Amino acid sequence: MQILHKTNLEALERARMLGSDGVLSLLEGKGLVGRGGASSPTAKKWRECRDTPADERFVVCNANEGEPGSFKDKLIIRHNAETLIEGILIAAYIVGAKRCFIYLRGEYDHLRPRLQEQIADVLPRANLEGVSIEIVRGAGAYICDEATALLKSIMGFRGTPMYRPPNPTTEGLWGRPTLVGNVETLACAAQAVLFDDWDANLRLFSLSGNIKNAGVYEFPLGVKMSSVIDVARPQRKLKAMSFGCFGGIMPVDENMSITPEAVCKGNCKQGNYSIIFIDETNNVVDISYSIAKFYTYESCGKCTPCREGTIRILNLLKKIRSGKGVKSDLQLLRELATHVQETSLCNLGQTCGNHVLTSLEHFPEDYEAYLAKKK
Amino acid sequence: MEEKKDNRLLMNILHEAQEKHGYISEQMLKQISVEQDIPISRLYGVAKFYSMFHTEPQGRYVVEVCGSPSCVLNNGVQIEKFLEEEIGVKIGKTSEDGMFSLYKTSCIGCCDEAPAIRINGQPHTKMTAERVQVLLKKLRTAFKKKKK
Repeated sequence: MQILHKTNLEALERARMLGSDGVLSLLEGKGLVGRGGASSPTAKKWRECRDTPADERFVVCNANEGEPGSFKDKLIIRHNAETLIEGILIAAYIVGAKRCFIYLRGEYDHLRPRLQEQIADVLPRANLEGVSIEIVRGAGAYICDEATALLKSIMGFRGTPMYRPPNPTTEGLWGRPTLVGNVETLACAAQAVLFDDWDANLRLFSLSGNIKNAGVYEFPLGVKMSSVIDVARPQRKLKAMSFGCFGGIMPVDENMSITPEAVCKGNCKQGNYSIIFIDETNNVVDISYSIAKFYTYESCGKCTPCREGTIRILNLLKKIRSGKGVKSDLQLLRELATHVQETSLCNLGQTCGNHVLTSLEHFPEDYEAYLAKKK
Repeated sequence: MEEKKDNRLLMNILHEAQEKHGYISEQMLKQISVEQDIPISRLYGVAKFYSMFHTEPQGRYVVEVCGSPSCVLNNGVQIEKFLEEEIGVKIGKTSEDGMFSLYKTSCIGCCDEAPAIRINGQPHTKMTAERVQVLLKKLRTAFKKKKK
């Protein structure tokens, strides 16, 4: 796997040789984009942070990966943390930051002691005067994956998202320009700087669900779904697949090329590829219910539509699953999901109805099956 | 925002406080409030916001069952029910002897080894009823030894 190639502090050395502008044009030329979900061009973000006048700047590595079905960043932290650390140091060197943070999700706290050792090992050898990397321990709030919520958490507040603009890149931690980068993006940045044959087209896929070979794989963008399924090896006939929790529940289309446009129909930019495979023994409503629980649990409570709407969606699904649902509940679900998505502030609320809308569209028979079980 | 630039991060301070007794007591919050010059109301708000911070005493072993779709698709619901039966408490409760607190958690990132649970922060994967029994037996023995 490309992502596991070690850079051994040679990438930082090369970055020093190329200089700040040289690195940014190199990353631009190679086409590195954010891998956390937004797919924004990395060089543009770094340049904006560097060029915003300030007495201090910060670099934050977002290791709060928490979307159900996604575990690719864990692989990098476990098996190539040195390269990730080097990516953070290159970012610090480019934007002129001294204090860097890794916001490590609480669920990955067991990886912290080893990561701490690796920081202590790499940092002195990097010879970057005054640069530090601190691990910030997350505590089970998925919402802190959102950059403004993440920064509030680091500053010691409740992790609720803030209005944008300003973006963290120009006004982040303690009001200073702050570069927030995903684990995969930062590790890729180090590799892109060092390796001439670095392939910008490769993406990490987290595959799980009713398959034999669950795990993290590297595929090029545009890969055929049939090739992914060949690797995943489902035990039984597949019925549906859920693109993480955000992308919605879709029928399995073996001929589909996996691109951001195909996954989200152009409505979103998919930078994080996680696929949960669901086989024919399952009712899709049950999976939708478990996703609805996730949203209810993780809604930060700041905006009313998301805070209340996620609970109502969950309760409706509960009612349908208990055999007490009526046909009009399906229309209510549809309206509710659409309304919450249209009126929420951040990505969590804006996507919290996707699983309902897509499952209602593609698997109405599963809902009907529950309605028919009327008690 | 009126953030003061603090060298010690509150999230890490709260984690360290919790590690002492398994929860963050009112006394601890008061102490942190004085030391860090942060109003206690804000501290309490922060402690209550994050699901991993507890402001009430917890069992010696905090058991969390992953509720992600990948775990649900791999017998996660059965494991949850089995844990409730074996421990003898419902999700969200602590056993009377103070040995176990049982919770449900959002995805813990072990989808490739589902179903998964966490005990005092350590993930245990590919859970089966047998594996749950073996694990609980080990913990019970360790708990009794400590009590003696």
